[in-house]
Order: sequence, then structure tokens, then C-alpha cells
Amino acid sequence: MKTIESDIVIIGSGITAALMAARLSETTKRRITVIEAGKPTTPLAERTKARARYMAYGESPWKQDHLDDQNAYGTTWGFSPSMTVGGLAMHWGGVSPRYSPEDFRLKTLYGVGDDWPFTYEELDPFYQEAEERMGVAGEQGPVALDPRGKPYPLPPLPVNYNLKQLQGFATQAGVAMWSTPSAKLSVARDGRSQCQRCDTCYPVCPSGAKYSPDFTWDALVRDNRITLVTETLVRRLIADPTTGAIVRATGNRTDASGEEVTITATTFVLAAGFAWSPHLLLLSRDAAFPNGLANRSGLVGKYLAGHRNVNAYLDLPMELYPGINVQHSLVSKQFMRVPRSGRYLRHDLRLWESSVGREPRLRDANGATLFGDALLADWRTRAKGATARIRAYYDVIPDRESKLTLDAGHVNRFGDPMPTMDFRDAPESAAVKPWQEEQIASLFRRMAKAGNGTILKMENSANDLGQEHPTGGCRMGDDPTQSVVNKWGRAHDHENLWVAGAPTQPSASCCNGTLTFVANGLRTASAIASA
Amino acid sequence: MHDTPQAAGRRSFLKLAGALAVTTAAGCAVESRVPVATTGSTNDRDTGFDRSLLNAVAAVVLPSELGVKGVDTAVDAFVTWADGYDPVAEEMHGYGYADIRYLPADPAPAWRAQLAGLELLARRSLRKSFAELTVETRQGLLAAALKGAPDDRLPSPIDAPHIALALLSHWASSPDAWDLALGVKVQTGNCRVLGDANAKPLPITGLRA
Repeated sequence: MKTIESDIVIIGSGITAALMAARLSETTKRRITVIEAGKPTTPLAERTKARARYMAYGESPWKQDHLDDQNAYGTTWGFSPSMTVGGLAMHWGGVSPRYSPEDFRLKTLYGVGDDWPFTYEELDPFYQEAEERMGVAGEQGPVALDPRGKPYPLPPLPVNYNLKQLQGFATQAGVAMWSTPSAKLSVARDGRSQCQRCDTCYPVCPSGAKYSPDFTWDALVRDNRITLVTETLVRRLIADPTTGAIVRATGNRTDASGEEVTITATTFVLAAGFAWSPHLLLLSRDAAFPNGLANRSGLVGKYLAGHRNVNAYLDLPMELYPGINVQHSLVSKQFMRVPRSGRYLRHDLRLWESSVGREPRLRDANGATLFGDALLADWRTRAKGATARIRAYYDVIPDRESKLTLDAGHVNRFGDPMPTMDFRDAPESAAVKPWQEEQIASLFRRMAKAGNGTILKMENSANDLGQEHPTGGCRMGDDPTQSVVNKWGRAHDHENLWVAGAPTQPSASCCNGTLTFVANGLRTASAIASA
Repeated sequence: MHDTPQAAGRRSFLKLAGALAVTTAAGCAVESRVPVATTGSTNDRDTGFDRSLLNAVAAVVLPSELGVKGVDTAVDAFVTWADGYDPVAEEMHGYGYADIRYLPADPAPAWRAQLAGLELLARRSLRKSFAELTVETRQGLLAAALKGAPDDRLPSPIDAPHIALALLSHWASSPDAWDLALGVKVQTGNCRVLGDANAKPLPITGLRA
């Protein structure tokens, strides 16, 4: 049996864990050990080649980035088999908006969901820190819509030629839009290059301009500031039945040996994301804690949250050139700050260039096959004009029974039941869903009309399994009967157990969530350091 | 000028060509996602294509604007691409995926069989090599072969049910092909200087791709 001793043990090595570890290594003298079930994946030096094969064939650029038998069911979001150093954020898109202040006060302002146990203003310095550590390039939006304590650390990615035209269209339609904040370097920094518009931010940035957690891990390991233990799956946390303190973690190597591993520490930090954090707490049930750890409230695994989207392609009377910077977009927070009256709808708005409808085709409208010169002539005609993609994420208030449970029908190699998720809207969300989607569709139609354009097609994500940018499962709050952790991420039931990032969030807003997950994690790290 | 004087015979010939080619591809396009370890190697599979037949296909499906050199370059690129394919390598997974998926088995054997089929058909029906047929006749044969292929947009080359479509799709997905269609230099998919994104793309001059 292998034994590991440390002061602080962080379980999971995703983006939240990485930046928490960096902060903790600067603010405490305690030994920090990070436990990761998977292995390191494709290093930066190999990403150019990996990208080329992805572009040519659709191959995954990320080698050994998952454990085949470790999978959550019931969601297509979050790719739960991802088990690698750096986690899912090895192939995130780098889009880094903040939530809006309203997200933290939904109950007070709108009478839906729950308030967070702290405000946007309290999170602002940790947002800033997350942006600094990752290198977020952003443009200050209108202050009323986009409040922040300090300027973005990096100048925005350019509003390129295509986006400039689209910005004019949005303005004409009465919507203020600006350069989407992104963890992609607009100027070279810390040995990472400036963005080179490779247009494969998701799934792989070959230049290192987009932040990925391995950059932080590599630096921390190189400088001996942490110990990173890979290929080790934590399967149980063991709590003292009297005091509730976590005394050890146990698990197994995920290599061929399957060797048993015991980890002791004074502080345990669960930073394994929305799926695996509640999963481990539920797995850790024993005689003293028959419902799992940290589960006095019965809310471990509950209140899974996320958002859905409405997406449309617009044909606009302007000339765009698809491919200038495909993954960069304009963003608006105009619809995240809404009046308190009326039915509840909040959503973000993103606008991209698109090649939809501009591609070559094999047959013309009469069904004649197009080859060679005829195909090129037809393509040239189709390529003229402009397609824009517009998408709104709208938030979904989670039901208490939006939940993760242990599924005995799916087990890993060690016989542990895997998680199954069942996302459910709270009644106040379910009641307005069709109306919300129609409101967004109407907005798109109005915008198209204002720009003298037409809707090419419109779709929504209602049939996706699960919800996007998922959070929850270990929600935070001041009341131990209504939450799993306190507002700092500390488990109500176990003084030396902390849960960090996405799983602690009471809601998931209506925009990409990673920056907020990290900011929350950094806030938790600040509390751990001073505990 | 057509190679076959008899319309009825030509219709039968095209019908046969269509049936032969599409079913050959469909039968070999493996859709199952078998969990096989990825080695990153090209294994011991056959590579390459009958180049004269492939050139004869290319002369039909690629624009003449490319010129002889451009067509040759496009065919070279296609062959290199096909030879470099790693069957059942892990497919990109991430947002929107709940499980691990794998790329299809090697489509090249079916594509080679389709080329051989075109040649056999040409020799049996027209007593000429496929490469010796006029462009118009080859065009008719290939159009018949592609009946049933998706028509709204070209498929990914790896999913193309026929080698003619694979070659065409491979070229059409290149940055140079897009520039040729747009008439400006964008070079989509290539890494480029960030600051250049602000300017309107410059018109391309002369023949490209």
C-alpha cells in the first residue's frame, strides 16, 4: 500500500484546483499535495502537431485524457470521463465572462431561486485575481452593465474586420456589444505567445496563448511548490465518527497495479468539479455517515444547475469574410440586467461570424451535380454576403431534485457506482421556458429585421442531455439545513473539508462559467490559508 | 464530344456506375465506434491510389482555374492526407459528448475499389481506360456515382462515400480553396498575426490553391 502525507490535499487537478494551488503555495507554508486520477496529456510542445491531426482528421489532440470506466451519465456537458492533469479546461474555449451582480441576488431581486451567500462585489477581487492569473484579455463594457473594480489585465482581443461590421449591425438593432473577454493573450506574457488566430482555441491552442491549467501545474512542480500525484483515484474520504474531521482519503492507483493508496492530511480540498465532488461525498458513506459525508442537509448531489441556449444564423446584407477569427465573438450583458417586473428572463448574447450557408455544395437548387468550375462559380455566389451566428444562454433555476445519484448499474473497475445526473428545472423555470425561448427568438427576429436581414435557421438546446456550464451538487449557504458548505466552501459538517468551485454554486447564470468557478475557488483558497 | 454514341447504352452505363460506386463505399464505411487503443501509427495498411485514375477524377471535380500544377498539388495533398489517416483513432470529444468515440475504419480501400470500378466499367462498356474518356463522360459517370450523396454541403473528407467526393471535399476544406471562393486572402484555419485581423482582407491576384 502506498501512503501519502501532506498538510493540504487537493483532490482534482482541473482549472479551479490549479489556480487555488498557486494561490495557496504563495500564502501558506503548508505542504500541498494534489491528487489526480489521470495522467498528464499532450504537452504544449506537441500541440501544433496534435492540432494538425485534429484539423485533418478530427482526431482528439488530447492523449490519455480520460479513464474509460469513470463516466457520469445523464449529461453531455462537462465530458465527465475527462481525467487528466488540467481536467476539462485542457480543451476549454477560453471564454471568460463574469456573472452579473444580479446572479448573486436572484431571490431578492426577482423572487426566483436563491441568493448566494455573498455578493458580486465580494467576489470582484477574486474575479480580478482569476483574470490576472489566467491572462484574460477583455474590453470594459458599459459600466452599468459590466461593473468591475479594476481594469482587465490585458487589452481586448481585437474587434476584427468581420466583428466590426457585426458590431455596427448590433448597434443598429439597439444592442451594445463588445469584445468577448477571453483567457487568450492579446499580448505575449509569461513565456506564452500572443494569440495567433489559429481558430482552434477549442479544442486545442497550439501557441499557448490560451490559458490551460498545465501551465500552472508545470510551474508549481518545477519550483517544488506542490507535489502532484497522478494516476491515483480517491475513492473514499474517511471521517472521524465523533468529531466529523476527515482523517484520511483512500483510493487506488489507476495504472495497471491498482495499488491501494492512503492519504493523510490536516486539510482536504475537494476540487473535482460538479460531477466528481458530490460523487465522492456520496461514495464516502459509512455507518456514522450513512447518507455520505457533508450531507446532513441531504443536499449533496442536489440542485444541479446550468443553462440552455437559443441559437440562430442570420443572413445579413453586408460583406463578411468567414475565417478571420472564427472563435472570437462580440458579447452583450444588456439582457442580464433586466427590470424586476414581469416574467423572469435573463440571458447573455454572443455574436460571431459564420460560414453557414457560404460553403460549397455538390448540387445546385435544381439538383444538378456541381463539379470543378461550376462548383467554384456556385461557391463564389454563395460566399458573397454575410452569415452571423447569434446565441443567447438563458439561465435555468435548478430544482432541488435536479440531482446526481449513485448508479449501481454502472460501476468502475473497483466496483464503485458511477454518478447519474437528472437535471430538472425548478417550477418557476419550467413554467416560463416556452415563453423565454420565444422571447429570445423574437429578439433575434427583431435584430434581423433591424439589419434588413433574415433568419437562416434557429434552434434551441432543449434536447441536449443535461445543461451547459453545469454547477451545483454541493451548494453553499449560511444555513446548514439548506446547504452543504458555507459561503467560503467549508463543509458545514466537517471542519477540515472544503469544496471548491463549480459544485458550490447555487446557480449557473446565463454565460460561460469557468471564470466564476475559479474566482470562487480562489475565494475558498483565501479562507483555507487563514483557517 | 461523347465517347458513347448510344444514349440508351450510356444511361445503363451511368446507372451501373452509380450503383457500383455508392454501394461499394457504403459497404465499407464503418460507422461502429470500436474501442481500440490508438497507436498513432498508420499500421500496416495499404497506401496510395492509382495516380492516373485519381488524376482523371481530379480533372473533373476540381476547378480548371487551379491549373495543371494546382490540381497536381491538390491531388498530392489528398494522397498524403489519406495515407496519413490513423483508423479508429480517438475522435475529439468534449462539449456535447458523453462518451469516448472513435474515427471510422480506413475508407481508402473502398476508395481504391471505386477507382478500380470506374476503370473496369470504362473498359467493359467503352473499351477505354477511365483516364482516356472525355471530361464530359467522366463527369457523367461521377455524377451518377454520387447520386444519393449529401447535397447541401460537402461532407468531411473522411466521411465521403466516394473518392471523387473525398478529393473534392479535401480540396474545398483548404484555406486556399476558401480564399479562391471569397476572392480575398483570409487563410482560414492557418495561424496568423493577430493585428492583421482588423483590416479588410486583401484581394487575391492570379490563380491560387
